[in-house]
Order: sequence, then structure tokens, then C-alpha cells
Amino acid sequence: MTFYDIMHESWLSISGNKMRSFLTVLGIVIGIMAVVVMVAVGETVQQSITDQFSSLGTNTIMIRAGAAQSAGVRTGNRMTLTMDDVKYISQLPDVAAATPMENSGAQVVYGNKNWSTSMVGVYPGYATVQNIEMEYGTFLDMSAIRNAATYAVIGPETAEELGMPKNPVGEIIRVRNTPLTVIGVTKAKGSSGMSSQDDMIIVPITTLKKRINGSRFPNSVNMIALKLYQDADNNIATEQITTLLRQRHKLKDGDADDFQITDMKQVMETMETVTGYLTLLLIAIAAVSLLVGSIGIMNMMLVSVAERTREIGIRKAIGAQESTIITQFLSESILISFIGSMFGLILGVGLSQGVGRFILHYNVPFSIWPVVVSISVAVVVGLVSGVMPAIKAAKLNPIDSLRYE
Amino acid sequence: MKQTPIISLKKICKVFPLEIGGQQQVLFDNTFNVMPGEFVAIMGPSGSGKSTCMNIIGALDSATSGVYELYGKDITTLLPDELAKIRNEYIGFVFQNFNLLPKRNILDNVMLPLMYRGLPMDERLSRAREMLKLVGLEKFETYLPTQLSGGMKQRVAIARALAGNPKLILADEPTGALDSKMGNEILKFFKKLNKELGITIVMITHEFEIASYANRVIHIYDGHITYDGPIPKNESVLLKSEQRAHKK
Repeated sequence: MTFYDIMHESWLSISGNKMRSFLTVLGIVIGIMAVVVMVAVGETVQQSITDQFSSLGTNTIMIRAGAAQSAGVRTGNRMTLTMDDVKYISQLPDVAAATPMENSGAQVVYGNKNWSTSMVGVYPGYATVQNIEMEYGTFLDMSAIRNAATYAVIGPETAEELGMPKNPVGEIIRVRNTPLTVIGVTKAKGSSGMSSQDDMIIVPITTLKKRINGSRFPNSVNMIALKLYQDADNNIATEQITTLLRQRHKLKDGDADDFQITDMKQVMETMETVTGYLTLLLIAIAAVSLLVGSIGIMNMMLVSVAERTREIGIRKAIGAQESTIITQFLSESILISFIGSMFGLILGVGLSQGVGRFILHYNVPFSIWPVVVSISVAVVVGLVSGVMPAIKAAKLNPIDSLRYE
Repeated sequence: MKQTPIISLKKICKVFPLEIGGQQQVLFDNTFNVMPGEFVAIMGPSGSGKSTCMNIIGALDSATSGVYELYGKDITTLLPDELAKIRNEYIGFVFQNFNLLPKRNILDNVMLPLMYRGLPMDERLSRAREMLKLVGLEKFETYLPTQLSGGMKQRVAIARALAGNPKLILADEPTGALDSKMGNEILKFFKKLNKELGITIVMITHEFEIASYANRVIHIYDGHITYDGPIPKNESVLLKSEQRAHKK
């Protein structure tokens, strides 16, 4: 028998029972589609996290105030960091830039439009730390900080939502009745799926504390973000910062730190590990449906052997060898599995890319390995599901088979 | 020059194990030859062992003891796959209930043994069409077996049996599922094949009228050959041979 004969015979047998074959193929379609979609979900989450961190850079370190412990119990946020801490941290040899950060929500008004967004009070170093580039105008400078100038740098989405001119530099916006002059618009970074850095207002931290929030502790800082030089070692820098802050906060040996240092590199590694496991879990769940699909094939093939006992007898009587019968039944189950896998792959890729692009507006990563896995799974599932029925068919006694009613 | 028999059975015995334990012998020392060009009827009542004998001749089953030579080749101890090859090359089967593949058109059915022989498609097609023409069904090649009458189905089965150019046609009750008119047509066709094309035919039947189309009858009773010779004038000769065997 030639390859064409094997495929032709298989196709005739499969198409001879259209509904049963369709339902069996459907089991594999759903299984493969589930695996492909779950892989896409996992990779999208991983990509999203990587995007978020790469926009910050893995050489970023965040320091939060508080988290002191008393008798083993965390006492929560305390305003333990100061503007002076920022100044001294900036002078450490590995630190490229440092900025205090004070986050706040903001209802911003421009003309007769208003928009609810987030606002952050920072130092000029923020642009370096967050890899911010300017589309129009300039970023904040130290004199704006010293003078608590009523300046704001806004994201392109904020400008658009407020219906501002294309170049809104010089326009006045109001936040809690404080007029702020727009001195720059950041370059769009694109939505990273979770939060947008294109929709925010950046103001001098002094302006936020003194003029907008009216803080009673203008020198205290909630959070410090800093960026290390590319060749700096995150662990050494973390140790240096810890030593510096403990000295400045006059903490004794045995006292717990009154600050928390978060190394973004570690966070990203942890997140990647977690999402890796998450992806595996999703694939494992999807694989169960694939397993059910393959049991469906085995079931169909066993029924087929029983139904075609007489046919097997005829084929054997006129010269089909056992190996030929095995090949025929195996090729039928592989063909069913292959057809199911291809449709599952097309639907899975189509569904994940379609939902990603047109509903979530996010570029779902497309990798080749679901294609390779689908084809491999098709062959393996087909072989595994078909081998038992095929052997059963091949071992049938031609005399008994010919008598079978 | 001495001709090699197509079939040579020497002291063939067949014993079947019984499900309830023990065993049952259904053939006892069956010995006979069939020469090329013969038309032989193997006859006997139900349960006589003629079907078992046919299964052994057709290489569908193996004898428990004895020697079976097909065209001079001892095939008694061959493995199942080797027997399949023998069936494909040497034997054409015609069954009582036709045994055509119901979902394949008749051309595909006739081509089937040629596919297992590994012939190229164009050769299969021309050979199958030639055989369908021989049995007068060349205009029906795209029909499914279910669209044909019983007689036509049996002619398709004959075309399939002849397609592989076998040494031997083995027909198991070939008229059993047909009315007498159709049955006679088929038997006349066998006669024609035997006479005009010199094809060796071994036919299993339990009816004397059908056996009388052959040139020789081998009568089996209780697993023993009780008569082997030309077709007698009437069935009583065969019945007497049965009685003689029974007395022994």
C-alpha cells in the first residue's frame, strides 16, 4: 500500500461516519484550542509583566517608608523617609538618579472638561528612573522643586482626554483649585495592559505637598525610587542603601529597618517564576480536555473495530497483512487527531489573537511552539489512542470476522 | 511431464479446543489433490467439516496435523502474514453473502486485492475494469454494492476474485444467497470460467444440483472423505458413501 492508499482509505473510513467523526474531531479541536489559548494567556501575562518592568528597568530600586516592627508585629507605614535621605542616596556611587515619589489621585480640570487621573509628585530624577522622554516641552528641573512651582508634565492620554491642543505647553490646568502650567508632555509608552503611564500628571513633589495636599510634613517622603548605573550590582547597592539609611535613621544593631527596599530585578524574577508556574497550571488544565479528546478517539476507534469486524475479515481474506490493518487503523486515528489539532490550532491562535487585538487592544505574543506542540500532540494522541484498537483489529481471526453479523 | 497439483492435502486433521474443556476433531486424515483446470465441488451436510476444509484450503486456517501444499509449496506452518500473502497471490474468494465493502463502489471493491499486492493505480484500474467487463458490469463501476441485485453483487465478488489473476477460485456456497435463476447464472458463469479460461475452481456446497455443475465431487461426512470422483448420476451414490462411513 502506498502512502496515498493509506490516506485515501483512512479518509473514506472517517468520512463514512460523518457525525461520529465530527464529534470525535471536536474533542481534539477543543483540547488543542484550550492548550493554545492557555499558552497565549500565560505568555501574555508574562509579556505584560516584562513590559512593565522593562519600562522601569530592572536596575530600579524602590524604597518605602515604614514597615518597622515592634515585637515582631509590623506597625505599618510611618513617615520615616525624608527629602535629605533622597539627597544622600543620590550621592551613592552606584546610583544614577533618585527621586522621592508621592502618589495622589487627581480630578483635573481644563476649560469645561475634567478628567480623573493619577498624580505623582517627584524630583527631576524621576524622568531617568522611569525612562521618560518628552514629546513637547521640558521635564521638571530642580528650581521648580525648590520654588514649589505650579508646573505640570502630563501624559499624552491625559492631554487627549482633556481635549487640549496638540502641543499643550503653556496651557493651564487646575487640580483641586490649584492652577498648574503644563510645561511638557511625555512621549507615549503605550498601554502595558495593567496601568498606563501615558495618563498621569507629574508635578514637583514640593508643589504637591505644600500647594495641593497642604501636607503637615513637607519634608517627609513616602517612597523613594532610584535607578542604578547599568553596570551596578543590585545586591551591593541595596546593602549600601540599607547601611546609609540605618545610619541616618540612627537604628541600633538589632533594630528592624524602618524602611522597605524592593529590588525590581528580584521582583521581576519572582513574578516570572510565578507566571511560569501559572502558565504550566493553565496548560495542565487544558491538557485534561485534550486527554478527554484522545479518549474519545480511542472510544471511536474501538467502536469502529467492532463495527467493521466483517470488513476486517474481508480485507484479511483477500490479502491484507496484520501490519497493513494496524497501519490503516493507526492512520485513521492519527488523521482524526491531526485534523482536530489543525482546526484547534487555527481556532486557538485566531481566538487569542482576535480577543487580544480587538477586545483587549493588546498584542498577544505569537510563538511557534504551540504549532510544533499541536502537530506533535496530534501524532502522539493519534498513535496512543489508535494503537490498542489497531492491534485488536489486526489480531482478529479472519474466519470469525467473516462470520460476524 | 507430471503436472503439479494446485491443491495437495495429505492426511489433514483439524482439532478445535472446546470452551467447556476438551477438544473436538472435525477433519480426519483428509487427503486429495486438485489439478490445474479442475472444477471440484466439496459437498457434505451441515456440520460435516466442509467449511473447515475450505478454510484450510483457502489459507484462512491452519491444519492441526498433515501437510498442505499449494501449488507445490508447503504452507502448513506459515505465519498469519505469510498466509495473507499466499491468499492475495494464489486464491480468489467468492463467498455466500458476497462480502463486498458496502461503502466502496464496485470498482474500488474489485481493486482492493490489487492494492494489497502493491500494484500501481493505473494497473489496478485497468485490471479491475477488465474484470468488470468480463462479468458484464463495466457500466456499473461507480455503483455501491447496495445499489445492485444479489446476482450482480456475486458477479462483482467474482470479478474481485479474478482481479488478482489467482491460481484458484474458492467459492463457499456461492449461490446460497441467490434465487435459483440467479444461482444458475452464477454457476454457468463458473462453468464458463473453468472451461474457457481454464481457471481451477473449488466450490463448497451442500446441494447435489449445484455440485453437479462441477466435474468432480469430494463428499465429506463427519470429517471423513467418503467419496472422491466424477459427479455421480444421482445423489444416492453419495448418501450410500455416507452410510458406509457411518457403519465404519
